[in-house]
Amino acid sequence: MNAFRRMLRSDSLGLALVVLLGGAALSIARPEFLTAYNIDVILVGFCLTVIYALGQGVIIAIGHMNLALGATGCLVAVSFGGAMQVWGLPVWAAVIFGLLIGMFCGFVNGWLTHKSGLTSFIITLATMSIFKGISLGITEAQPFYGVAESVKAFGSDRWGPLPETLLVALPIVIGLAVFLGRMIPGRQMLAFGGNPSAAELSGISRARMVILAHTLSGLLAAIAGMMSVARLQLASPAIGDEWLIASFAAPVIGGAVLSGGHLSVLGTCLGVLIVSLINQALVMLAVDPFYVQVLLGALILGAVGLNRLRESRMGNAPVLRLS
Amino acid sequence: MSRQVKSGLQVEVRGVSKAFVGVQALDNVNLTVGAGQIHALLGENGAGKSTLIKILTGVHQPDSGKVLLDGREMAFRTPREAIAAGIGVVHQERNLITRFSVAENITLEDPPTRFGLFDEAAAVAATRKWLDLLHLDTDPRTPVSRLSVAQVQLVEIAKALSLESRFLLLDEPTSSLTPHETGTLFAVLRRLAADGVTIVFVSHKLEEVFELCTHVTVLRDGRNACDSRPLAGMTRADVVRLMIGRDERAFAAPAIGTRSGPPALELRGVATGLGHKDITLQAHAGEILGLYGLVGAGRSELARAIIGAVPITAGEVRIDGKPERIRDVADAVRRLGIGYVSEDRKGDGLILAHDVAANIAATVWHRLGKFLGFVSDRMQNTTAAPFLTSLDIRTPSLAQRVGNLSGGNQQKVSVAKWLAAGSKVLIVDEPTVGIDIRSKAYLHDLILKLARDGAAVIVISSDMPELVMLADRIAVMKGFRLVDTFDNAREYTAASQRIMQAIHG
Repeated sequence: MNAFRRMLRSDSLGLALVVLLGGAALSIARPEFLTAYNIDVILVGFCLTVIYALGQGVIIAIGHMNLALGATGCLVAVSFGGAMQVWGLPVWAAVIFGLLIGMFCGFVNGWLTHKSGLTSFIITLATMSIFKGISLGITEAQPFYGVAESVKAFGSDRWGPLPETLLVALPIVIGLAVFLGRMIPGRQMLAFGGNPSAAELSGISRARMVILAHTLSGLLAAIAGMMSVARLQLASPAIGDEWLIASFAAPVIGGAVLSGGHLSVLGTCLGVLIVSLINQALVMLAVDPFYVQVLLGALILGAVGLNRLRESRMGNAPVLRLS
Repeated sequence: MSRQVKSGLQVEVRGVSKAFVGVQALDNVNLTVGAGQIHALLGENGAGKSTLIKILTGVHQPDSGKVLLDGREMAFRTPREAIAAGIGVVHQERNLITRFSVAENITLEDPPTRFGLFDEAAAVAATRKWLDLLHLDTDPRTPVSRLSVAQVQLVEIAKALSLESRFLLLDEPTSSLTPHETGTLFAVLRRLAADGVTIVFVSHKLEEVFELCTHVTVLRDGRNACDSRPLAGMTRADVVRLMIGRDERAFAAPAIGTRSGPPALELRGVATGLGHKDITLQAHAGEILGLYGLVGAGRSELARAIIGAVPITAGEVRIDGKPERIRDVADAVRRLGIGYVSEDRKGDGLILAHDVAANIAATVWHRLGKFLGFVSDRMQNTTAAPFLTSLDIRTPSLAQRVGNLSGGNQQKVSVAKWLAAGSKVLIVDEPTVGIDIRSKAYLHDLILKLARDGAAVIVISSDMPELVMLADRIAVMKGFRLVDTFDNAREYTAASQRIMQAIHG
């Protein structure tokens, strides 16, 4: 019983099995799955997706949501491109500029959510529209092509079999795992997500937690946005448009509780892998790509249901109240 | 929908048992209530009353035993089925939609319609009949949010009756009523009983039980201490003995505080953003200050102001004689050493999904972190571990989720986190609500020990015997003001009279 519980509790073991079995099944059904090219596609996608998935994950961890994640990434991407093409900033300055914009967007989300007392859903719904509108306005809906060669190289170069973008993704994954698991602000964020009023009465500041999580989310969206520029070799105002579903799917598949208080970084990584595995499988099995979205939606529902079941098994789901 | 109260149900509970993870909440419990009877269901917190109520109302299903209505065996799977069988329940916590009108609330389950649309006129007419029956002179169009607590209580009863309830379960209906309102409610209940409605009345106030009820069932530790006995011929002492299994203990713990030197916490003419006015009180190190008041008197709100969660707008706060400004919770907790064990353990006190160690260490993370704010499980465990033994917290390990512990152990965890923080002023809000008797006695001893060890302890409680037993001094609150403060000689009759005098006088 105990072993069973622990297995249920560890988010990652079952997921790792799913990834392995799924990968194995796919490579048996379609031997071309295991080609270097394919693995490369999955890895490159992973490096990007994991960053914005974690950007959503830190918000889910405090029980909020960030609908403006993709729009933030987009605003950062076009600002990054514009800074290089129009202002002629050196790459390092453009990167810092992009990071600052992302953090500022996140800060605005957090600050407005905290000050207004509205849900982050409404706030980020509004800022999504604002950020996206600004991005389309400054680009006139056209991409910036003047991306520095070093940026393009970063997006396309390989380091042996591994994409260079892994050099960014990996430290972020490890850093965030340490932050949430071992560092005080990270622990406080999870405590706040688990029970905001209890955390507040323990001396953990609500304002600080909300703003911290949203700023962190903006920072991660910024990194993902600039990484998209490197990968696409241009700063398109369409960047971020497709992030929303995967950004929720990966953390939730990885065991994150939407009401807050729990986020598994490793689980999120596996969630990203599962999402990309499914994408690949459907491509290889020649399924209409539009149906991929159907499957992802179903996957989110399934994962949320599973998490809930797991919570209630452990006696933590909200108890039925007398009506 | 019939507009008449139907004749009452005869309710029988036979040998019902119910266990939750690790806890036998009910063990072979019996209850027999004749039609039209007003029957008291008594027991201390954790004795199993609420579990029994939940079984009668279909929220929980018994592991064994039967529930019979008019001799027919019932097996409710949902609250809906219980309602359909004629069981109405009025809960302690309000279950009305406050933005809706009285009529909308009362007809919520079965709204009258015309051409498929909500028919307000019909709803108002239907509602008025029920309100008339209860002599409640309120316009059915009034939003519930504008009613007084007593009116809300009566609306809940009207709603239960409108669902054709022939059996009314009232869970502490008077806990927030004035004596006058209580009188009105009792008159209504007597009339309903005379009309044949069967009533089970749950209350902590024994005076009311003797005034209203004819029969009594007492639960203790999940068993029958007595089963459906007539109250006639029983005394208050008899009932108390049945409830706690021994005579009421006059706790003769001597006043411990010396009261030399400045008080650990002093409020002078404090007002808050929530409406407190002119609060002046002192809590000395080594002393227990009891804070009594009815629900809504502003006690927990005052605690929140002291802990910095609510701004203090006027007056002066002194800690150890020094004027201080409480900036926010972190300031109160870390700099001033104030701790608050919340009344609402699950809502405000603990993070149920997190483990014991993290819950205890949450108040001291800022102190634990050494290098770059890193904190390891080991650091947390070293902080938390001593409290498992010193507070006798029963948990398989520090990694156990707090949500899996019993109520008593959860309460100990929420005390432990403030001990870990080294609080010098500790506010304990309703420390023993909803926990079993043994943990209760333990928590009482713990509170005494905390004071003896030099903390200034403020105990907020609605449990008068508990307060009279624990407190060195008692302060009484009413309407967000302090109405009386006196030294407590731990003499129940005298103290309770003085408290009631302060509240109702």
